Amino acid sequence: MAEKDIDINGLSFEQAIKKLTDIVGKIENGSISLEQSISQYEQGMSLIKHCRGILQKAEKKIEEISKK
Amino acid sequence: MEQSLFDKPNSNKKTDILTISQITFIIKTALENTLPGKITITGQISGFKQHSSGHCYFDLKDANAVLPCVMWKSDFAKLKFKPENGLAIVSTGHIDVYPPQGKYQFYADSMSPAGVGALQLAFEQLKNKLAAEGLFDDEHKKPLPDYPFRIGILTSKSGAALHDITDSIFNRWPVAELFFYDVPVQGDGAAEKIAAAIKDVNKRNSKLNLDVIIVGRGGGSMEDLWAFNEEAVARAIFNSKIPVISAVGHEVDFTIADFVADARASTPTKAGVIAVPDIKEVLAALESADRRIKTNAISLFELCGQRLKTILAAAMFRNPLLIVQNREQLLDGIENNLAQKADRFFAGIKLRIETLGAKLTACNPKSVLNRGYSITKNAATGEIIKNIEEININDTIITELKDEKRIESRITGK
Repeated sequence: MAEKDIDINGLSFEQAIKKLTDIVGKIENGSISLEQSISQYEQGMSLIKHCRGILQKAEKKIEEISKK
Repeated sequence: MEQSLFDKPNSNKKTDILTISQITFIIKTALENTLPGKITITGQISGFKQHSSGHCYFDLKDANAVLPCVMWKSDFAKLKFKPENGLAIVSTGHIDVYPPQGKYQFYADSMSPAGVGALQLAFEQLKNKLAAEGLFDDEHKKPLPDYPFRIGILTSKSGAALHDITDSIFNRWPVAELFFYDVPVQGDGAAEKIAAAIKDVNKRNSKLNLDVIIVGRGGGSMEDLWAFNEEAVARAIFNSKIPVISAVGHEVDFTIADFVADARASTPTKAGVIAVPDIKEVLAALESADRRIKTNAISLFELCGQRLKTILAAAMFRNPLLIVQNREQLLDGIENNLAQKADRFFAGIKLRIETLGAKLTACNPKSVLNRGYSITKNAATGEIIKNIEEININDTIITELKDEKRIESRITGK
C-alpha cells in the first residue's frame, strides 16, 4: 500500500484524473472482482486526495521570462 | 517652355547637327521641366519582373497606352502586398528618360492596390499562400492540454492584454503558473520579435516546461494588428512544438496568426477561458468521482456480501458434518443390504442342504427297516443276500431289523 501512495504522488494532475476516470468507470460497471474493487477504491480515494492537494496550491505566480 | 523647346533647334543654324546624347538630354530636360516632380498614376500591372538585383520592372497600362515602370529594391521592400500581373494599382513617383534605352519610364516610389487597401490585399495574399501550403490544416493543430499548469504569455508589457489574460486565467484556474514574455506587438520589427520570442520559448522549453503559450494583444486598427499578419509570426506559430493560442484584438478581428494557431481566442480575455479549465468544475468533478466510487464500491461490497451470505446459507455450511453423515448413511445402507443378501444366500444354501439331506435320508436303505422290512445278510461274508443261491443249508444268516437290532438264525431248509 505504501508503494502505491508513492506512485500516485508522482503522477501529474492530468495522469491522475485519467486514472481516476478509469477507476470510476471500472467500479461503476461492476466488471471487477471484490478484491480488485477494494484496491481500486483505495487507489481512487488516494487519487482524489492527490488531485485536491494539487488544487489547493493556488499561488497566482507570474514570472517574467523575456530575454533582455 | 514648350515654345522654347521647339524653337531652340529652329533658332539654331540649319547646319547644327545634334548627337543622340544631346537630343536625348534635350528631351530629358524638357520632360523634367514640364512634368511635376511627383505624379500619381493608376493602371494595371503587366509583365512584372523582379530582377536578381531586387529591382522590379513592369508595365502599367490601360486600354490604349503602356508606360514602362521601375521600382527600386528599397521601395519595393516597403510594400505590404505583392504586385501581381493584372492588378490595378495606384502608384506615386516620377517620370524620367532613360538614355541608354532611349525610353521614358515611370519610377514608382510607392504603390497600393486600387480599390481594396494594401493591407487587405497583403492579408488575402499571405492567407492564400499559407493556406495552399497547408499551414492552416486541422491535421497540424495540436490539442490543448486539459489541465495546463505552466502557461507562457507573449505580449507587450504596456498593453492591456497582459492583464486581461492573467486575470481571466487566475479567475478560473488560480493554480497555474504564468510565464510572461515581453515583446512589442506593433510597429517596425514587432513581427520579427514576436517570431523570435516564440522560437526562444520553444528552444528553452526543456527548462520552462510550458504546457501552452498565448500570443496576442488588444484591439486596434489593421495597421496596429499588422505584426500578427506577417509571415514570420505565422511560421513561428506553425513551427512551435508548444501548442499556441492566438488572442489578437476584438471579436471581429481575424489575423493570419489566428488561422495558423492551434486555437483562436476572439479576445485576450477569452484566451484565458480557452486555455484553462474552471477550478470549480474540476473540484465538482472530483467530488462526483468521490461519490461515485464510494456509492458503487459500497453497493459492490454489499452485493458480494449478499452472495457470500447466500453461499453460507447452503446446507453444507450450516452443518459441515452432513457430508460425512450422508456418506456414513450411504455406507450403512450398503452394509445392511450386503448383510441381508448374505443372510439370504446362506439361508438358501441351508435349505438346499436340508433338502438334500432329506433326500439322502429317504434313500438310506435302513429307513425301510422302520416300515417293517428287514435286511438279510450272510453272516460269514456280511453280504446282503439277494438270491436264494447265495445261501446254503446250515449257513448262518443275520437279519437286521430297525434300531440296529439283529437276529441270527440257521438255514434249515430252502
